[in-house]
Amino acid sequence: MGLEHATTIVEALAALPRGEARGYTFRGVDGSERYYCFEAVEREARQRAARYANAGLNPGDRVALVVADPAEFVLSFLGAVIGGFVPVPIYPRASFKARNAYVDTVGHIARAAGARALLTMEATLAVLEPVTAAPDGPEKVLVLERFLEGEAPTFEPPEIAPDDPCFLQFTSGSTSMPKGVVVTHRNLVQNARDFLGPHGLDRRPEDVGLSWLPLYHDMGLIGFMLGTLVCDIPTYFVPTEAFARRPGMWLELISEKRATITFAPNFGYALATKRARDRDLAGLDLSCVRIAGCGAEPINPDVMRAFADRFRPAGFDPGALLPCYGMAEATLAITFTKHGGGFQTDRVDASQLRRRRATPAGPDADGTVELVSCGSPFPSTSLSIVDGQGRACGERQVGEVVVRGPGVTPGYFNNPEATEAAFRDGTLCTGDLGYVADGQLYICGRQKDLIIIRGANLHPQDIEWSVAEVPGVRRDNVVAFSSLIDGEEQLVIAAEGNSKDAPELRKSVATRVAERHSLKVAHVAVVRLGSLPKTSSGKVQRRRTRELFEDGQLEEHGE
Amino acid sequence: MTRAKLLEIFRSTASEIAEKDLSSVGEDGVIADLGIDSLELLEVIGTLERDLDVRVPDDQLVGIQTVRQLLELVETKLTPA
Repeated sequence: MGLEHATTIVEALAALPRGEARGYTFRGVDGSERYYCFEAVEREARQRAARYANAGLNPGDRVALVVADPAEFVLSFLGAVIGGFVPVPIYPRASFKARNAYVDTVGHIARAAGARALLTMEATLAVLEPVTAAPDGPEKVLVLERFLEGEAPTFEPPEIAPDDPCFLQFTSGSTSMPKGVVVTHRNLVQNARDFLGPHGLDRRPEDVGLSWLPLYHDMGLIGFMLGTLVCDIPTYFVPTEAFARRPGMWLELISEKRATITFAPNFGYALATKRARDRDLAGLDLSCVRIAGCGAEPINPDVMRAFADRFRPAGFDPGALLPCYGMAEATLAITFTKHGGGFQTDRVDASQLRRRRATPAGPDADGTVELVSCGSPFPSTSLSIVDGQGRACGERQVGEVVVRGPGVTPGYFNNPEATEAAFRDGTLCTGDLGYVADGQLYICGRQKDLIIIRGANLHPQDIEWSVAEVPGVRRDNVVAFSSLIDGEEQLVIAAEGNSKDAPELRKSVATRVAERHSLKVAHVAVVRLGSLPKTSSGKVQRRRTRELFEDGQLEEHGE
Repeated sequence: MTRAKLLEIFRSTASEIAEKDLSSVGEDGVIADLGIDSLELLEVIGTLERDLDVRVPDDQLVGIQTVRQLLELVETKLTPA
């Protein structure tokens, strides 16, 4: 069967070119490289499928994967998929996060997924002990080093159908009530053909992908792993940790490996620009880059421009910048800008925008916002903007983005309430606010209270609960929200407290958030008791609080 | 290398990466209080690794809370066992 006819990830794996020429390269944290041609990826994954079956797993069983090594993660993930087991990728690193908070998160996800097994490596086993030893923990704990010992038994993998779940993507929901998106094979194959096809990246035979994105998150996992299998793109994987330790490595490797496709959230582009010294530039040749995609968090036009300006002397083509929009609930991608066209922006009046109208403004006018176009939906996908009553909005009218198409997933695993709230008859209500102008989608806010910092989705409640425990903070009178500060989505906490405690509270609240969530708070607003807006039932109103903050109307205690 | 020197290197590296003055941070300093996020801290460690020619594996960073604990960890990498 040709790759273009594959309907599942398993069929795609079998249809990829044989031989040594095309495949995956995994870079280790020490700079070593491991290469697996696609044939070897499939062979190794098949053996792991047999090992899972041998460990007593049945098709449909969920397997939590807490595996930091990218090569081992990819092979173990695909092994589960071939065997008809459902992998559940989980953030594998606990560094600097309070150990307990990390372990709680892993435990909550494993339980929400109903994971029958958990696969991890020796190095992480001790940290995960509270999860694996819990009475309601996974029935089987597989340690990779032992899991791979000995010959793999013979195994006849089950038939996989396109509508079978391929994996569960946990990216949303609060820490204590995480929600796992069920992603089917059909979702993946169709979305990959959309975002890598002529209306997406327009994949070429000579393309080479390069990614440092985490593999437990949709942009790295689907964009660079599953998508490249569906469309046959050799790819180079760099551990996220290696990029974090030395951001300059990203562009150096692109230059060295002659990569043509890369992606990062906005912060990645900002960091690469900030860290590049003149002498670093001299050794770079970025003329190979055809696609430099940007998504997963709000895109700052100044960051895109600064990146283009900084790296143009190194051969970077600003036309390669490709903003896009998507989310795990829609598999990955929903809209793409036209490849090769660079990024486009729309400058609108800020106060009008708050009244849900995107009124064009001149570049020199006061009180304007410049938004980056996220492009248009794939031909397979329809997108509309609707108001609070579900009526279609007109051109330049702000409303909720709703989407229908083959990428829209069946919903959240084992969670009918959450599924019903976001999915209606195959239509996804994204919770994002945006408008369409000239066929281009602009995202300008969020209806749901989600906070997105550096591509990571955070639920305000988790942060509010941590802050509420700080002595001097009035319980239940804390609001966490994000606001665009200096063009970046940043975290703001508003808490009620006494004026004499205010200076101390500003410090202790920021410390608590850093300890519990490894997050930097841009601003702690300590406000007069009783001044946070509440509903009639006494619940704090997050959106209203944010509006007051942005209008400078929060009654903050002085320094 | 003395601890004082190591602390000095930590302060200057952290100040540069976080773009804030951390020159008076002491060993008792709690990392969460420094106002730098986990990504910046990893970059600080990456920079220390390169400047000092050591390797501090990610999994050993779990549970590190104070500047002292971090410097002690780096120190064990400096001195061959």
